[in-house]
Amino acid sequence: MAGLLRDRGRRPAAAGTTADSAALASAVGLPEARTDSSPLLDVSDLHVTFHGRRGRVYAVQGISFSIGRGQTLAIIGESGSGKTVSALAVMGLLPDSAHVSGSIRFKGEQLVGRSEHDLRAYRGRNVAMVFQNPERSLNPTMRVGTQITEVVRCHLLLDREQAHERAVELLRMVRVPAPERRFHEYPHQLSGGMRQRVVIAIALACGPDVLIADEATTALDVTTQAQIMDLLLDLQSQTGTALVMISHDLGLAASYAEDIIVMYAGQVVERAPAGELFGDVRMPYTQALLDAMPRIELEPHVLLPVVGGRPPDLSAIPLGCPFAPRCPGVQQDCREQPPRLAEHEPGRWWACWHPCGRGAPR
Amino acid sequence: MNASVTVQPARWPGGARARRLASSPALRLSGRRLLSAIPVLWGVTFLTFLTLNALPGDAASALLGINATPAEIRAFSIKLHLNEPLWVRYGHWLGGVVHGNLGSSLASPQTVASVLEQRLPVTLELVAYALVITFVVSIPLAVLCAHRPRGLTDRLCMVLSMCGISIAPYVLGLLLVLFFAVDIPIFPAIGYQSIGAGIAGNLKDLTLPAIVVALPLAAFYTRFLRADLLEQMQSEDYIVTARAKGLGPWRVLTQHALRNSFIGLLTVIGLNLATLIGSTVIVEQIFSLPGIGYELLQAISNRDVPVVEGIVLVFGAVVVLANLATDLLYGVLDPRIRHVRSRS
Amino acid sequence: MSVPAADILTTPVPAGPESEAAGRASGGWLRSAEITIPGAVLAALLFFCFIWPLVYPVPKPIGGSLLTTNLPLWSPGHILGTDTVGDDVMSRILYGGRVSFEVAAAVQVIGLVIGGLFGMLAAYRGGWLEAVLMRILDVFIAFPSLVLVLAISDSLGPSETHVIWALSAFSIPAFGRVARAATLRLRDQPFVVAARLSGSRAWRIQLLHLVPNMLPQLLTFSLLGAGITIILEGALDFLGYGIPPPGPSWGNMIAAGQSFMSVYPRFVLVPSIFLLVSVLCLNLLGDGLRARWGVR
Repeated sequence: MAGLLRDRGRRPAAAGTTADSAALASAVGLPEARTDSSPLLDVSDLHVTFHGRRGRVYAVQGISFSIGRGQTLAIIGESGSGKTVSALAVMGLLPDSAHVSGSIRFKGEQLVGRSEHDLRAYRGRNVAMVFQNPERSLNPTMRVGTQITEVVRCHLLLDREQAHERAVELLRMVRVPAPERRFHEYPHQLSGGMRQRVVIAIALACGPDVLIADEATTALDVTTQAQIMDLLLDLQSQTGTALVMISHDLGLAASYAEDIIVMYAGQVVERAPAGELFGDVRMPYTQALLDAMPRIELEPHVLLPVVGGRPPDLSAIPLGCPFAPRCPGVQQDCREQPPRLAEHEPGRWWACWHPCGRGAPR
Repeated sequence: MNASVTVQPARWPGGARARRLASSPALRLSGRRLLSAIPVLWGVTFLTFLTLNALPGDAASALLGINATPAEIRAFSIKLHLNEPLWVRYGHWLGGVVHGNLGSSLASPQTVASVLEQRLPVTLELVAYALVITFVVSIPLAVLCAHRPRGLTDRLCMVLSMCGISIAPYVLGLLLVLFFAVDIPIFPAIGYQSIGAGIAGNLKDLTLPAIVVALPLAAFYTRFLRADLLEQMQSEDYIVTARAKGLGPWRVLTQHALRNSFIGLLTVIGLNLATLIGSTVIVEQIFSLPGIGYELLQAISNRDVPVVEGIVLVFGAVVVLANLATDLLYGVLDPRIRHVRSRS
Repeated sequence: MSVPAADILTTPVPAGPESEAAGRASGGWLRSAEITIPGAVLAALLFFCFIWPLVYPVPKPIGGSLLTTNLPLWSPGHILGTDTVGDDVMSRILYGGRVSFEVAAAVQVIGLVIGGLFGMLAAYRGGWLEAVLMRILDVFIAFPSLVLVLAISDSLGPSETHVIWALSAFSIPAFGRVARAATLRLRDQPFVVAARLSGSRAWRIQLLHLVPNMLPQLLTFSLLGAGITIILEGALDFLGYGIPPPGPSWGNMIAAGQSFMSVYPRFVLVPSIFLLVSVLCLNLLGDGLRARWGVR
């Protein structure tokens, strides 16, 4: 806050150069990039169970991950794998019917079991989230600028003028052209890509330490997708915000993430640094995801190998490996004993009795 | 071949500003609505006339009473043009209406227009008062209920509102009179004092009738608003975004959800208008308020056809215009309609 | 004039969305009670109004003796006492109830058949037929039907049949709107489009596909409409344009009891309570069924 007041006189130059962006970033009070490696967010053995009228749904069954300053983590999985539920659990946005157990630590402080009042102070301020549908994530009857100033005035207690200035600076930072004019416009007057930028501006408004992007680019066309991802990474490198990107797109993760976690049926099944994962996949599920991606090296008119079957119903914890019914390399012990996630090689974790990859038969 | 052909933009009389105005979506929308409202208005007038003049029952003999001689009845019929065919009479009447002449009352020496002039303000004040009570009660109540669904306040409200819509207005009116005018004399049971004679007395006279009109409305709007708010809170993405910002539940409800609910509420009000008018008729009767509802009943029993026609015309016009206004307001309130041109 | 969100008429009594969070075992039981309790009370009322007088010697509703006027509640032979002309209140309630329920049922059926049919046909065909029919419907909705009702009643003379026809002026356009909105919503659903493309005749599609899917909505609407009709019928009687006295009807009883309210409030209260309970049950039943069947 002191930094903001000090820098108010300075008019930030047009965004584009790194030096200017850094000045912009400090002008809006975002945290400086530090080389501190202690984890900002540490999730350990997280379980989320929904209690509904028709019984229980075990959406997340004991996952763990952590992320530190300036890092980019990708959580990959198909629909129903529990990735969004985990993100909502970190934000504390799950409905009352969800029972959360395990540990979610932000800067050492435990978040599980905290009151709604405490969580509200931290939500949007320390950890922020960007959602999938930009058309629906913004209130259609509220001006874009007001939706930004709202979060700023709530957490940072700025007055109207200061909030207005900050909002315009944020819009400039996310590369929305003519930010002063856009401030007064309504969401439907902006294109999809611009709306998503506004959502990002809202998320970054209070300078959060962690940004969770849940399928943030899925609803956009490929060009816009690339622009938004580049923007996110740019902002990240200037401000040191940790980025958790949630997606079903392995290719996206390959291009932008440092570490990758693959989730299936509520569990983490593989975890590795991005560079190592793609050269040497261990989990058959991850391999199947990779195989199903269209690639330029493939022969034209070749059928993509698609994994048959459907993800398991999460109203019961599966007996053996959850992927067993669909796994091409399934064996008897896969069906009986659930494989545990373990660090079989330094930095590489997987949960499989018969992994593929180096030395193992496909 | 020379391909450079210069095309002149079409010239608008009045210049660029007129063109901008004419292409404004809001104006075009209202123009369209107005155009489509005219046949409806005409239909109302026609139906009115048809209903009152095509039904059996001799107006002349009813007006003159049982002691009239056949000659008197015949003379009176001729005076009222009752012997002419229906179409001719309608033509006369419609012509009169278009020129602002609604005819004269048969039961009293006034013109229909002056009768309306006297009675309309009373009814309008009653309706306005009732609407104020309705909104003051239903909006906060709905927000309270939506804040903690299925909590104590919510359940209580649901029960009370269910009773509110199930109770008949005349029953409610009588019961209120019984309690507040007879047992605990706070508000007068009947009678009316005009604003000119003192605003306090005027409001006091109108309070009980306004409550009777307002209660079923308020009950309905509370339920409607609550349902709309809850639906937004549970399934709309912008609500999740708002909560993810760290905003408190009251703020999310009022600043985000309620805003979007107003549009739907407006629509419902427009649709309810005809029923609202109907209930004023009964209420004015019970509380002896000199409004057009009361006048209508008297005119019907007196077979004062011109007055009935005039009143019904006014009712119909009010409903049509109110719906038109609702449509327009819809366009004003919902920014999506206001700016039909979206991206740039 | 097209009114936006025509579904508003399909939700005269909004029920509110059911949240998964509240779906515990107790919620399930409560939901069922929301339907069974009003349903049972309604069934009891119908039984007592229609069947009971056939089996049990209930005193006549009119023609009471002047010797037995103003008997209090719980008098022997007159459970609810007698009124100012000596008629047994209970039997007037029962026979009056008959009138109310008969009128309500008849008006809903007429509205459903005529209004529903026209609405569905017009919306399905589309084009100028729909436009014309919708304008006509708009006229009826804009027209203060109460006036129509009063005028009809006044000129035709008061009687139950006339009341039914007069009140149908409300229900026909209302059902027309509901049927139209439902048809428009269903018409572009994949299964209807598929039926059209496969060459089915229009009436087959309407009968086999549209009607069954509209039925829950129309049924719940008619329950809620029945409640409104009972209130309106009572209003007509109250104003003197409905069932002619001394015929028993709840509205008549309330109107007659008006003058004695401070001395004998029960003359107004007793029919009012029955009126309230009947309408309440109809509303609750309609609401509960709407929630159960997931109708919007």
